Amino acid sequence: MKYGLFGRNYEVYANMIENSLDVALAAEQFSNIILQEGGLQGNAEPGITTDGATAIGIGLAAIGAGYAERGIGAAAVGALAEDSISTGIGIVMTVLPETLVIFALVALFV
Amino acid sequence: MVRVSATGSNPEYVNSRVRARRAKLFDDEDYRKLVRMGPSEIARFMEETEYESEVNALGSRHSGVDLIEYALTRNMAKHFDDLLRWSGGEMYDRIASYLRKFDAWNAKTTFRGLYSGASAEEIETDYIRAGEFDDRFLERLANAGTIEDAVELLDGTLFGESLPAAFEEYEETGVLVPLENAVDRAFYENLLGGVSGSDEPTKLYVEFLQAEIDFRNARNALRLARSGADMDPSEYYIEGGELFTPNELVRLVGNRDQLVTHIRDSKYGDELSNALDELETADSLIGFEHALDRALLEYSRGLSSRFPISICPVLGYVLAKEREVENIRAVARGKEAGLSEEEINEELVIV
Repeated sequence: MKYGLFGRNYEVYANMIENSLDVALAAEQFSNIILQEGGLQGNAEPGITTDGATAIGIGLAAIGAGYAERGIGAAAVGALAEDSISTGIGIVMTVLPETLVIFALVALFV
Repeated sequence: MVRVSATGSNPEYVNSRVRARRAKLFDDEDYRKLVRMGPSEIARFMEETEYESEVNALGSRHSGVDLIEYALTRNMAKHFDDLLRWSGGEMYDRIASYLRKFDAWNAKTTFRGLYSGASAEEIETDYIRAGEFDDRFLERLANAGTIEDAVELLDGTLFGESLPAAFEEYEETGVLVPLENAVDRAFYENLLGGVSGSDEPTKLYVEFLQAEIDFRNARNALRLARSGADMDPSEYYIEGGELFTPNELVRLVGNRDQLVTHIRDSKYGDELSNALDELETADSLIGFEHALDRALLEYSRGLSSRFPISICPVLGYVLAKEREVENIRAVARGKEAGLSEEEINEELVIV
């Protein structure tokens, strides 16, 4: 009877406390990622920094441009096959949505 | 609905090719030149346009107006086959089911040919090979010998179901009308029956088909009203339109003024007002039918601009190309028959 009356139970409690400490630690690490330096100490800053948000924005713009180019590219190839436009025009039209990605790059510099 | 798979629908590609081809169709200027030419000059003129290869290929076998006509239909079949070659997915299905129009045409050609006792070779040259029937099937149809055998051959196609009943009627009456109606009806009803989905392009597609059916019903109704023949109008009625119900049609055929008013009050009133005016003033059915064709062409063109990434531009092109073929044919045949330029101009439908 090493642990007295609560013997076995105490062991369980100890385990539970340890576990919950683990959870708290993990939570803190997680919130540190989200809130960067702030963490549990308060002083919260957004976890996604300006640069990160910019990167996501540019990525979304690129996805949008790619989607738009899918249709334009198909149409341009069709028109080229019929000889109704020149290759140059076709290429320019196809990459036109790409300009939006360049606009998105502006976000990097503000 | 956007499918990005390799075999998915590709309206962008098809539409840009179709638009390019549509731009190459003959315009007013070309028709003005054509009207002044004789048949052989027309053939030579066509040799310098996109009909070149067909005119050259057929030049040794046919001459004069026949050459023009066969070159026209063969070129049309080539273009429509191209449409199918380019398209994929839903686009393909819809174009293919619309082009069954030419299966209906070929079936009717077979009946007419066999009825009039034309030779298999003659029937075969009159086919338009743009539909689903392949060359071998068409050859068998042309060689069917009797209408009964042709009906049997068509069993299993989309016309199979309605033909046997129509054939019995044909045997009783001895006129081709029941057979031809059965073919037309089977085609249009199959067309609308096969459409599913409720997105915008589908709705436009259905709207377009309904317009075509309505116009066809209107035309048949007016022809019946005009001829005063004692025929049952519901025989000619094609399901699926919005303009008439069968009962309305039966009632209206008896009274032409009411019929015209009914069309004027419908949703096509604006598009058809010119046509209806012409019908009321000039009392000419031919003028009205051309006006109807023009209205359908304009309607299809309107639909293609309202929804460019749908099937509508393709259907508009199919109609415009068919019209061009009919126009050139009218010029050539008119010239052959010695009609004056004004008379030929009246036959043309130019949008």
